[in-house]
Amino acid sequence: MSSPDQNSQANDASVDKTMPADNSTTHFGYKTIEKDDKISMVAGVFHSVAKQYDVMNDLMSFGVHRLWKRFTIDASGVRPGNKVLDLAGGTGDLTAKFSQLVGREGQVVLADINSSMLNVGRDKLRDKGLVQNIEYVQANAEYLPFEENTFDVVTIAFGLRNVTDKDKALRSIYSVLKPGGRLLVLEFSKPEHELLNKAYDFYSFNILPKMGELVAKDGDSYQYLAESIRMHPDQETLKTMMDNAGFEQTTFKNLTGGVVALHKGYKF
Amino acid sequence: MATSKIANELLLPQVLTAVLELLINKALLLNVNKDSSLQDVSGKTITLELAELTFPLSFTVGSAARVIVSSLTDCSDCTISTSVNTLKKLKAEQQITQLVKQGELDVIGDVKIAQQFAAIAQSLEIDWQTELAKHIGDVPSHKMVQFGNKLTNAVNKHSTQLQADVSEYVVHEKRLVATNGQITHFKQQVTEVANKVDTINTRINTIFSLLSSKK
Repeated sequence: MSSPDQNSQANDASVDKTMPADNSTTHFGYKTIEKDDKISMVAGVFHSVAKQYDVMNDLMSFGVHRLWKRFTIDASGVRPGNKVLDLAGGTGDLTAKFSQLVGREGQVVLADINSSMLNVGRDKLRDKGLVQNIEYVQANAEYLPFEENTFDVVTIAFGLRNVTDKDKALRSIYSVLKPGGRLLVLEFSKPEHELLNKAYDFYSFNILPKMGELVAKDGDSYQYLAESIRMHPDQETLKTMMDNAGFEQTTFKNLTGGVVALHKGYKF
Repeated sequence: MATSKIANELLLPQVLTAVLELLINKALLLNVNKDSSLQDVSGKTITLELAELTFPLSFTVGSAARVIVSSLTDCSDCTISTSVNTLKKLKAEQQITQLVKQGELDVIGDVKIAQQFAAIAQSLEIDWQTELAKHIGDVPSHKMVQFGNKLTNAVNKHSTQLQADVSEYVVHEKRLVATNGQITHFKQQVTEVANKVDTINTRINTIFSLLSSKK
């Protein structure tokens, strides 16, 4: 359980959430760790929760995560024949819909750095009969293994905060997008109202880890989830990061009072 | 504008599309008239722009014979702009042209796709008794459906009677509302008066022009 000091640290605007103290370190929740260690530590979290991931998502968000993902799909402007990259796609919620919207001529690549999440996603999509236009790639968002100008749409839903070097990942995404293509980042963010922020903090640090302990038998991973959300750049910071990576017409839309935000940017 | 903002804040378009998607796919799964008509529209999208809603509803038939409902409008093969009331009239395919002429319906794109979607919707038929029997057994489901039918008939009968009584009271007893016949008669009378006024107007104009020419 986090202490009140930790909560105030996360909410303190003076804490630089994007850049750690030096170039060799980064954040893992509230901890400062060596950059090289983050990938394996995040991997540990997701290997542990992969099988209960969908159930936990429904429980934690009271099912609202499905609406946030629908909103992302509605904002994607995806068309039949498009090539879509669902980055950090996890258990394939977005891929399932994209696969049907792009049709036989289109293609969806479900990419995740974590093999356990990818396996759960692949099994789930195959059980739904979705096989013909989906590819699975285990990939690090910072070093995407695709040619430049490949995708019409790239989405990353609830994944960017786990990436070690977010700026590098955004540049990598920019590179694989086709001119005219768009990036959609769906991620937890900073609630707009103070009261909601306090209630959200209480829920995240007191209820969420207990839920994780009870259902996924792993309270620590959900403690990390709560901390990583607080350490993630807020709406304006992420927008600036996208601008810096080269994206144009960058906008964001707060959902559920800013608990989640959808950032959108184009490559021209 | 404000309604649209509130709807978006509450993610209403997403709630509605999620519910519709669930219902449509469940209905397709239980449909007793399963045929290949869904394959014919595979990959096709029809969009409904309803006057009552601030956002569009797009229906795409994906692979695995599932329908995806979204608010996407970019890739529609056919867009229908109408109202919920007109949508009910659309059950009869031949009414499409008439409704377009009356301005109640606007179709952009391939009308054939709209007709194919309408045909699929009309072919939906669910055998509730069989579905119920899978869960509670044959005899209880038969009894329940029988009871349900009796209840529906009774409700329909009473609602028809109630409608008749209310209309009798409102139209004939209290004379609060005019009947269709009275409205038509009134319209005819108005038209006749308008025609007479036009005739008189023409005659007056003629007289004025004659007088002015004599001067």
